[in-house]
Amino acid sequence: MTLEVFIFGASAMQVRHDRVAVTVSDAPTAAEVLAALAKQHPVLNVEGIAARLAVNHTFATAETPIRPGDEVALIALVCGG
Amino acid sequence: MIVFARIIDGPLGAETERATRANHSAPDGPAGTDCAASVARTSAECAPPDGHAGTKRALSDGRAGAVVRFEGVVRELEPSATGTSDERTLIALDYETYDPMAQRELESLARSVASEHGLLSIVVLHSRGRVAVGETSFLLTVTAPHRAEALRALGEFIDRLKQDVPIWKRPVWAS
Repeated sequence: MTLEVFIFGASAMQVRHDRVAVTVSDAPTAAEVLAALAKQHPVLNVEGIAARLAVNHTFATAETPIRPGDEVALIALVCGG
Repeated sequence: MIVFARIIDGPLGAETERATRANHSAPDGPAGTDCAASVARTSAECAPPDGHAGTKRALSDGRAGAVVRFEGVVRELEPSATGTSDERTLIALDYETYDPMAQRELESLARSVASEHGLLSIVVLHSRGRVAVGETSFLLTVTAPHRAEALRALGEFIDRLKQDVPIWKRPVWAS
């Protein structure tokens, strides 16, 4: 299936958009989505910036299942304060 | 334990003035509100409608020996790119938040740090949107029985904020 993943900050500035599409298996885990993002969107440098996924506004673990309709966001390099 | 965390649109100048007034004005009586009563009687967690009033209430219960406030201010110079030491001149930072997760994580972090360090209160405010150079974008006030836990809590909160709360800043360069 194709997932839309929200992106923010430097990642969004890099691709000049607030989300990217990623093709994954029908019942992926968060780890599989991160791996697919790294492969399909190398410009995001997912592995280099210790990125995490949030699913429906909660940090996901590697095993968190992603279901159709879930809101998925890439959380990387936050810098509040 | 009083926990108050909010993301607010724009700079926090008015909030810092209110925080100063709250810290230096006479404390409320112990039964001023339900929240004050719960602090005095049970130490139950409560969220006052106004964060600075929460600090004032914590100072009024007699156990507070330290109140520490940190203000984050937008600097004029920022690195021109991640990982470089070259600096460029800013006119402002645009703070982007992932809502409502940012608000929830900010509150969760405040509760966690307050509990781990035995704070009497923690009040945190963070800006969303544009904040000009010299203006305040972050305000954290903690009260504790002693200075050591107040100072430790303050440092730990800021470190964890930069790991766990989905807030990003985009530079608005002067040229």
